[in-house]
Amino acid sequence: MGLIQRMVEAEGIPTISMGNAPDRMNHIKPPRALLVKFARGCMFGEPGNINRHRRIILDALDALKTMSEPGAVQELPYRWKKPDPEES
Amino acid sequence: MTIDLKKFKPDYEKWVEESLPDYRAGNMKEIVKKYPFIVSKDVPWTPYRGKPSEQTFALVTSGGFYLKDSQPAFDTESIHGDTSYREIPKTVRQEDLGIAHAHYDHSLAEQDINTIFPIHRFIELEKEEVIGRQADTQYSFSYVNDAVTLVTKTVPEVIRRIKAQGVDVLFLVPV
Repeated sequence: MGLIQRMVEAEGIPTISMGNAPDRMNHIKPPRALLVKFARGCMFGEPGNINRHRRIILDALDALKTMSEPGAVQELPYRWKKPDPEES
Repeated sequence: MTIDLKKFKPDYEKWVEESLPDYRAGNMKEIVKKYPFIVSKDVPWTPYRGKPSEQTFALVTSGGFYLKDSQPAFDTESIHGDTSYREIPKTVRQEDLGIAHAHYDHSLAEQDINTIFPIHRFIELEKEEVIGRQADTQYSFSYVNDAVTLVTKTVPEVIRRIKAQGVDVLFLVPV
């Protein structure tokens, strides 16, 4: 996926991706990425947690506007089956 | 962006030969450790401009999704993986999708595809005019090791398609 993202970005289309492994992301160097502490196979959190899925997409839309450095990675604060920090 | 396939290709062929026994035995950690990842120092960059509410978004997943009734499953046997992709319409329903990917736990995505492929959330955001439009077609990949075919054939084809669809932002979700 890293190669796909990098090739698309190089073709003039802004991209953003999800990731959960900082080591691997360092290696792949995606142009823009959000880092979550969720396991493989559930980057947007728990099944049925509509608010969380939505929240992460909204975070990505914000990140598109604010990230200004190639290779920017933003860590998100969400934890599996725990409420979002602001709600706790 | 330059991708050094001349260096990658012989390294990859050697990796395939050496890793086949581990691959067949399911020792994924070993084969990942030895894989000749293409490492680049540069990071391509296209500045983001404009407003999401006026733009077209598309999703790319590597979750191995395919339409059960009309598309073939991905090859989950080959050490090369499968370099093809499936076009997933934005109208897709949970029950339309099969998952062909041997190297992650599908159980959560089988309950709710949005946990790795949040197409339904994007459609909600389109209805609320938070984004301008979700593209009619999203793209699904599976497990891939053969970066040569990916880089020379598959990705250029996908780029042509997303450009033809007028996609402004691509959101990629690996598994």
